[in-house]
Amino acid sequence: MQNIYEVQQSNKIKSGVITTLFFLFSVIAIYFISQAFGYYNGYEVGGFGYVGVALIVSGISTFVSYYYSDKIVLKISGARVANTKEHKLFASVAENLCIGAGLPKPKLYVIEDSAPNAFATGRDPDHAVICATTGLLDKLTRTELEGVIAHELTHVKNYDIRLMSIVSVMVGLIALLGDWFFRARLFGGGRSRSRDDNQLGAIIMVIGIIFAILSPIIATLIQLAISRRREFMADAGSVQITRQPQGLITALEKISADHEPLEAANKATAHLYIANPFKDKSDGAVGWFASLFNTHPPMVERISILQKMS
Amino acid sequence: MNLTIILLIVLVVFVGWVISVYNFFVSSKARIKASIQEIGNQLKRQADLIPNLESSVKGYLTHEKGILEMLAEARKLISKGQDASKQISDALSGLKIVVESNPELKANTVVENLMGELRDTSDKVMYSRRLMIDLTADYNVKRVSVPSNIVANMFKFDELKGLETAESGEHLVVSPSEMRSPKVNL
Repeated sequence: MQNIYEVQQSNKIKSGVITTLFFLFSVIAIYFISQAFGYYNGYEVGGFGYVGVALIVSGISTFVSYYYSDKIVLKISGARVANTKEHKLFASVAENLCIGAGLPKPKLYVIEDSAPNAFATGRDPDHAVICATTGLLDKLTRTELEGVIAHELTHVKNYDIRLMSIVSVMVGLIALLGDWFFRARLFGGGRSRSRDDNQLGAIIMVIGIIFAILSPIIATLIQLAISRRREFMADAGSVQITRQPQGLITALEKISADHEPLEAANKATAHLYIANPFKDKSDGAVGWFASLFNTHPPMVERISILQKMS
Repeated sequence: MNLTIILLIVLVVFVGWVISVYNFFVSSKARIKASIQEIGNQLKRQADLIPNLESSVKGYLTHEKGILEMLAEARKLISKGQDASKQISDALSGLKIVVESNPELKANTVVENLMGELRDTSDKVMYSRRLMIDLTADYNVKRVSVPSNIVANMFKFDELKGLETAESGEHLVVSPSEMRSPKVNL
């Protein structure tokens, strides 16, 4: 039995550790790749060479998607503004939970799809959007809906969308650098060959290659681990607002019992939803390996943690 | 020279931290005040809404109840083998008025809506209290925990009460009658 404050505290620490680890790893990877780059081109990269360019490219693309995240995601998912009359329950539950969480009322959207699911987006609480499928609104009772919406509101409250955007800037940066490094090696000039006898240079080169190959994958894996940790945090936050773990538990059970995939979701938006919209399952060693690439923690684990809280 | 720079940096960091903690306490207090007003706001909404809803639903129900009673009366007469045409026509004329103003008898949905509205209203009041309780708890925890308690003591931030509840009394004691599981009588 862990009380909700302990759960939240430990979640905060774990999330902080993973995020710090991620940024440390990014700095190291970027350092080595850029060093190897500099060596390969035969000159020192002056502070803001390739890294700077990669940062700008990755930064701008993510900033745009971050700033317009709500509009882009809603457009992709085919969501429409929730009608307060038609979706009265949705509107009043969201309003009540906002009173409880001390947040401004988010914009509400619905997706016409019978697969129950929901997501939150928007860059900060003032521009937050919560979107639910009509399947979710039809299949859940009021208490269950409260659990799900409180989960989404916690994402908003914790600035998860902002965090995940910063993380994806870094992932994009590393991927770009690694990519450019290989392109330069394949097609670039051979100025470095005159310095091949320099042993230190060769070592840096090897480390650089290793980082260029592995770091995009590792960065993505850490990114997914952060995403899963934030899901646990949102579950705990949901309980803090509603104080009724049972509502979220039965909601998650209902959502995972429904095997219909959500057509409106795609790979780019999957991590936003309360539960993995693709519902693919695998077991054993393959399952463990596949779980490294999951945007969401396993449903069984989430439910058992929630049950400990009640 | 170097030592003074280090000391200066430490001082600046410390002052920055004191300011941020001080601001936390001050803004918490303001938020708690606002959350208390929100409770009042929700209570006012409840006081305005519920009696009005109650009377309008009551009006609905009496109307339908009258018609149903008339129909039951007519049915009783029929089962006794008596002529019930007068009762039926009375009931029908009443029914006509209701049907003209409302396409169908909807006491069911009316009551359902009332129940939803009742829960919604009490939820709103409950959540506004929850916010106040949570904010005061955050404030009070920060006030006593290390190291922010230094700032709290420096500027004499007092403990806030939150939702005033007696620390002892009946609500913390389970009486024998409460141990039995409740039975719902309808």
